[in-house]
Amino acid sequence: MAGTGIFSYAPAIALFPLVAFVVALVFGKYMPKKGAIAGIFATAGSLVLSLAMLAAVAGGEVYHETIYEWTSGAVASEVGADGIEFTFGILIDPLSALMLVIVSLVAVLVHVFSLGYMNAEGETGLPRYYAELGLFTFSMLAFVFADNLLMAFMFFELVGLCSYLLIGFWFRTKSAPSAAKKAFLVTRFGDYFFLIGVVAIAATFGTVAFAGDDSFVTAAETAIDDGTQLFGFDAQTWVTITGLLVLGGVIGKSAQFPLHTWLPDAMEGPTTVSALIHAATMVAAGVYLVARMFGYYALSPTALAIIAFVGGFTALFAATMGVVKDDIKQVLAYSTISQYGYMMLGLGVGGYVAGVFHLMNHAFFKALLFLGAGAVIILMHHEQDMWKMGGLKDKAPVTYYTFLAGALALAGIIPFSGFWSKDEILYDALIVGLEEPVILAAYAMGLVAVFFTGFYTFRMVFLTFHGEPRSEAAEDPHPVGWAVKVPLITLGVLALVAGIANLAPVYKLTGIELTFLESWLDGEYGAVEGLTYSAYGELLAYEAGTIGTEQQTVLIAAGVSLLLAFSGAGVAWKLYNVPEPSRHVTKLGGAYTVLRSNYYQDEFQVWLAEGVTQPIARAADRFDRTVIDGTVNGVSSISLFGSNRVKRLQTGIVTNYAALLVAGFIGLLLVLGLYGGWF
Amino acid sequence: MTVALEYYVLLSIALFCIGLFGVLTRRNALMFLMSVELMLNAANINLIAFAFYHGNLTGQVFALFTMALAAAEVAVGLGIILVLYRNFRDVDVTVPTTMRW
Amino acid sequence: MMIEALIAVALVGALVTFVAPNRIAGKLAFAISLVPVVLSLWLFTAFDGSGNALLEGSLAFESQYEWIQLGEYSISWFVGLDGISLPLVVLTTILTSAAIMSSWTPIDDRESQFYGLVLFIEANLIGVFAALDFFLWFIFWEAVLIPMYLLIGIWGGPRRKYAAIKFFVYTNVASLVMFGAFIALVFGLGDSVTSFALPEIATAMLNGGPDGFLGLEGTTLTSVVFIAMFLGFAVKVPVVPFHTWLPDAHVEAPTPASVLLAGVLLKMGTYALLRFNFTMFPGQVETYAVPIAAIAVISVIYGAMLALAQTDLKRIVAYSSVSSMGYVILGLIAYTQFGVGGATFQMVSHGFISGLMFMAVGVIYNATHTRLVTDMSGMADRMPIAVGILIAGAFGYMGLPLMSGFYGEFTIFFGAFQADFAYAPLFTSLAMFGIVIVAGYLLFALQRTVFGPYELETDYEVGRAPLHDIVPMFVLLGIIILLGVAPDLIFEMITDAVDPILSGGEQ
Repeated sequence: MAGTGIFSYAPAIALFPLVAFVVALVFGKYMPKKGAIAGIFATAGSLVLSLAMLAAVAGGEVYHETIYEWTSGAVASEVGADGIEFTFGILIDPLSALMLVIVSLVAVLVHVFSLGYMNAEGETGLPRYYAELGLFTFSMLAFVFADNLLMAFMFFELVGLCSYLLIGFWFRTKSAPSAAKKAFLVTRFGDYFFLIGVVAIAATFGTVAFAGDDSFVTAAETAIDDGTQLFGFDAQTWVTITGLLVLGGVIGKSAQFPLHTWLPDAMEGPTTVSALIHAATMVAAGVYLVARMFGYYALSPTALAIIAFVGGFTALFAATMGVVKDDIKQVLAYSTISQYGYMMLGLGVGGYVAGVFHLMNHAFFKALLFLGAGAVIILMHHEQDMWKMGGLKDKAPVTYYTFLAGALALAGIIPFSGFWSKDEILYDALIVGLEEPVILAAYAMGLVAVFFTGFYTFRMVFLTFHGEPRSEAAEDPHPVGWAVKVPLITLGVLALVAGIANLAPVYKLTGIELTFLESWLDGEYGAVEGLTYSAYGELLAYEAGTIGTEQQTVLIAAGVSLLLAFSGAGVAWKLYNVPEPSRHVTKLGGAYTVLRSNYYQDEFQVWLAEGVTQPIARAADRFDRTVIDGTVNGVSSISLFGSNRVKRLQTGIVTNYAALLVAGFIGLLLVLGLYGGWF
Repeated sequence: MTVALEYYVLLSIALFCIGLFGVLTRRNALMFLMSVELMLNAANINLIAFAFYHGNLTGQVFALFTMALAAAEVAVGLGIILVLYRNFRDVDVTVPTTMRW
Repeated sequence: MMIEALIAVALVGALVTFVAPNRIAGKLAFAISLVPVVLSLWLFTAFDGSGNALLEGSLAFESQYEWIQLGEYSISWFVGLDGISLPLVVLTTILTSAAIMSSWTPIDDRESQFYGLVLFIEANLIGVFAALDFFLWFIFWEAVLIPMYLLIGIWGGPRRKYAAIKFFVYTNVASLVMFGAFIALVFGLGDSVTSFALPEIATAMLNGGPDGFLGLEGTTLTSVVFIAMFLGFAVKVPVVPFHTWLPDAHVEAPTPASVLLAGVLLKMGTYALLRFNFTMFPGQVETYAVPIAAIAVISVIYGAMLALAQTDLKRIVAYSSVSSMGYVILGLIAYTQFGVGGATFQMVSHGFISGLMFMAVGVIYNATHTRLVTDMSGMADRMPIAVGILIAGAFGYMGLPLMSGFYGEFTIFFGAFQADFAYAPLFTSLAMFGIVIVAGYLLFALQRTVFGPYELETDYEVGRAPLHDIVPMFVLLGIIILLGVAPDLIFEMITDAVDPILSGGEQ
């Protein structure tokens, strides 16, 4: 597995965007298009190389190579070696090759789209924008091909930095810097647990490698088999604890409950950035991490069940909030949270392929929807309120049809890509749930969320594109150029056809082998040992049940979810596909306020920051100034006061001094005399 | 016939006490300076007397040193008194107390 | 002779600058300060030492001359560098040059004296890190205080006298406690030492320790001395609850003095802790591990909480220094290779990062004449480059990967997590919460000062910072990133010097 052939160029995948970052930052001002060209070429180069990697993996090769040793030293690990090396390495296996292609593809399209979205609008600070996009892409690509947990953490953090910079791109407003800060802070809170997890895993097993014989997954497996005690816990519990710690980072980045609040606020950034964050970089990083170290989670049923439950709950929770939003980007933001909930659910029930499949499909259709929303915003002269839109269908057909394709995929309508992956997740959840009640609850929540997804998706489509124009801007939309249309069409096609990658229900019903992705992830082409679907399957402790035969279960699962999706869409059609739609707020009653306020989650977190942390900080400050510094100043005051008294001995009159001298001399004589025995 | 050592010491004590009394009670700087001279000379008497008593010349040499020192001291002291007078229009040593703190 | 040359250049430079005309003093001092930079970098490349200076390691650039014979004890001029002190010397020289350049703008009064004092500090700081004889070390150690006292007291802000005296008296009293304790220890060691050379004392300590002194048993004496010295150095570090002099000193000090204070002077405390307490008293380190770890955690969290409550940018950075120094203590007490090595790395790293932060804050202050978070808004609009560096520095402070701060913190956490004392993982996890709070207060401060609409009302134009303010910050930023990407540049020599400590003097 040495760096042979095409793989020796693997580092360049990430380095191209890094170069673009430097070029755009330093020379962007002087370049035509302010650095966009550099970014496009760099990400296109990454895409080409990623595709080459994909082809090479398809040809049965994989790549696992340490590039650079960061540091090394002694470790007192509980098991394994007494030395540890922290390295930067590249691991290209089916999963990372796939993800590299997704990320670089979305990055290219976002760069191209930016030409139409940012450059055409006369933005200032474009070099900064393209530089940050480049850095963002670099961080994410490096994160994707990281071969160890520490490297993953480091680029995970850099991804967080870039999201901070890009969300706060319009820093002259009040809201964007606030949203950026919130995004970084909330995800940092998750990363705190992640970092403990990294440190704990490194300290326990003496290795942080994802793959190979000396990976921490292997070490953990051995420890569980041997019944080793780790840090005072039995190995299984310790794996669960560390796994959940790492999961903290995932929950933060992938915006799962309760750390999801930053994502809707992150809409303050440019829409292109939202597309990148939601589809391929920041948010995807969390779920990708779970997939990357799936073998570790597979060792711990508890951790998996928690992942599944959090995922299912988030899917439903976010979907309900998406129902009442007026801002087109807000709806999409909540849909993202909800969809990543599905992926977590899929991974949590052991549906590794299903989760990754949905990650891929979601990347395409969510990038599409966001770029579509960006196009709508251009059309609407920077208006984002859906109630001011309407009737755009005929005026912007390309935008409409591509957006519709994305919406159908999001809602999970057959045969769009989203249906296949979401259905597979729900199917996996169902068969496991038949044996495990906790998972069944998660499945139920995921299932109910399908209805809401269908509803809010089509509410958005109808409000935006159908009916009569409800504002001047909607009557006379601003035209969009090729830079907008090309990415939309590309992604629209992908949203339609990407499902072909894994038609699991078709296979189960008819026996026709249409499950490319499954065999891809199972290493039928090429894979690193231990990082395959079947290897994970062996580790999993789940039992699967069925309702009747397997075929019947498949049909029931697909039928129910499709029915719910259609009914959700249908309700939306009934309510909003009219020339003059009304808000229908009263029908929800008190629930509307709760949903509008996002279940008061934001208020809760603001309260945590302002109502709890700040008073504590202020109290600490008061304590510091009064008690601690007061003691210090008190000591000085006491000595000053004392010396103030003593100094009065010095009257300044020479005669007094002379008298004191004499008195002292006599006193000394007397003392000496007394002790010397003269008297 | 030699005078016994005790008498010298008594003379010296008397002279010293007169000087000390002057230092403690006089407010005039000149009197002050003279009192100091008296005390120095009391010490000189002691030195010479004991030198004679021990048959050792060191004490006498020291007395010479002391006299030279006293001369220097008077020079400096008079200088100070002049400055004192210039600043305070007086040679009262209890008046200038501004340097105390 | 190289170390002598380093010190001599700075000392002579200080004298020359002192008598130079004010007009050229800044440029002259900067030119002179480049000589130590080049020299120390040359030392860095030519470094051939190995092992720990106190524990029979082979020293680089060693030189020893008999100086004073004091009864049975001899005092000598004894200097040399090992893997721990060399990076700190390089830190000192680079930071001094940067500080001098960054004071060209703000210092417009008695320049020649100002720059002379800065160079004088540099000479003494190099001496502190290079000296291997206790008396020599102590002379340098104390001599650092005087110029710093003057810098704060003469060129400082409105409450400069209070701050300067507090700084001087507080740290000086602490030094006294430490000095007394150490002398008692040397006398307690009796015949086994004949000089104040630190290697000799360290060897004697590891070969049995003192017999007793002043009626104290040998082991009691060792513990008392350990605690007294820990307290003495804890003030210098500073560790909660001995930290209150630091924010006052920082707020009042002129920018370059803040840079040196946070960048190097605080490291004197942790360096001395490592050299004395953690090298000579392995037994006591084990005994008092839990309380010291608790102090470290409290410093981290409490310091960060205090920073959260501040509105003055300098106070924020000052309290966060308290927090960062808490990490260093945690790393030291971990007593593992990554812990102690990481702590040493963090000293260097924090020196550069806090220096950078104070410079960036200073540049903004030069333009706005305010440091209050509440007074500023949208500075990024007017000073994009300076603000960009401030943001980079802030993220360095937060421990962003690929910057040196992350490496220091990660290695400390990793080292502390596997430490031997009770509940080490718990202590580590608690201390790690500092990385969330630090992000909190720095991001809040950034949001209010540099972002948002530009609203500052001044009767003069707030414009971009001059080039000579920007250049030193870029240099520091470059070093921070370099150390973050390639930490082994110094980490290898650090661990080489740390290993003998952990193995109790065995090579």
